[in-house]
Amino acid sequence: MSFINDFLASWREYRRPGYYEKFDYAWTMSIDLDRCTGCEACVTACQAENNLPIVGEDEFAKGREMQWIRIERYWEGEYPNVKLGFIPMLCQHCDAAPCETVCPVSATYHNQDGLNAQIYNRCIGTRSCAVYCPYEVRYFNYNNHHWDAPLDEQLNPDVSVREKGVMEKCTFCIQRIRQAKDQAKDDGRRRVRDGEVQPACVQTCPAEALVFGDRNDAESQVSQSMNHPRAYHVLEELNTDPSVVYLKKVGSNAG
Amino acid sequence: MAISIVPTLRVLKPAALIVGVAFVGLIFGYWANAAFTTGSYNTLYPAPGPEQPINFSHRVHAGDYQIECLYCHTEARRSTSAGVPAVSKCAGCHQLVVPERPQIRMVLEYWENQEPIPWVKVHDLPDFVYFSHKRHVLAGVECQTCHGPVETMDVVSRMAPNQMGQCLTCHKEHQVEFGLDCLTCHK
Repeated sequence: MSFINDFLASWREYRRPGYYEKFDYAWTMSIDLDRCTGCEACVTACQAENNLPIVGEDEFAKGREMQWIRIERYWEGEYPNVKLGFIPMLCQHCDAAPCETVCPVSATYHNQDGLNAQIYNRCIGTRSCAVYCPYEVRYFNYNNHHWDAPLDEQLNPDVSVREKGVMEKCTFCIQRIRQAKDQAKDDGRRRVRDGEVQPACVQTCPAEALVFGDRNDAESQVSQSMNHPRAYHVLEELNTDPSVVYLKKVGSNAG
Repeated sequence: MAISIVPTLRVLKPAALIVGVAFVGLIFGYWANAAFTTGSYNTLYPAPGPEQPINFSHRVHAGDYQIECLYCHTEARRSTSAGVPAVSKCAGCHQLVVPERPQIRMVLEYWENQEPIPWVKVHDLPDFVYFSHKRHVLAGVECQTCHGPVETMDVVSRMAPNQMGQCLTCHKEHQVEFGLDCLTCHK
């Protein structure tokens, strides 16, 4: 029972606003919408890195697609004065995440690094978290997916292949964070340097619209973009306190 | 006007049935969990080791001749996986040491054909577990903690539970930083 008490204590602790200041890391991503061209390179990179299945046309029509990061398109105005805006949408790793409170088995919880964790082998597939998520970024495995040879050879061994009946979502590429921490430990460093961890989407973005880092480090690139006047959170009025910061698109072309 | 409880009960009957069945299920589930988890836990180990392509004896190598684990499993201190040694490592000694024995001749045959020996994995963790040999070896964890007394085994079998309970107990005991966080071991 003491284990449950420990768990509850840390669960409460990590849900307190500003909890992260006393921990090492608070992983944050900033997305500059002025730079985003909507090329979907991040979507492809995520697909390859995180063993995401290609669900196929039929499943997609049923709304069962799998994209941990997706590009949402917003059209504004009437033809010919149309403005187009893109917004990459991924798990916001909210500090006050609605999905965490509803999981009956605590398969999703907040950890000390400010990550909204999803533990696949604990998940029983109630899908309540997907219902509560205001960003609609949780994806459910309605089927067991398979990869035809030789595609199964390219599966990432550092990421588990999810089974039917399990919820999944963006992890901020936890395998890369773990590897960077491992490297830092080997080098005898206490902390991971800024820019050392790059999730697949950040690494691949040709316009460098996506920046990943630690907001506890005031010098980091992501801390600076957080203080930018264009910075905002999506659906800020819901008080979910997301870890993904968007920089608003401005100017005559702004959508 | 008399107020009867009967109509209310009539409505509640299916609900009561569902709750009742669920309650019985809960009790049964709890009992089954308590009664059988320990049982299945025990059947996982000690388990007889699988048959290997070559009758390699850890007792002779690690026990009698006192060869370090890390001499052959060199990757254990550099990589997440401990790895099995390449055939060249076997051949390196055995081209000189007792090359005439039939089992050794089989090894050298693999070496001459430049083929890997198809060893069978004994300690296989599930796909969703991240375990780094490097971190544990560098932290000074004995190989025997998880692999059992391999230096006494002719055929390697699982002699330690290697389940989540063992990981958590050890992490707790040694006060590993964030050692109880799920993402430390799950991926």
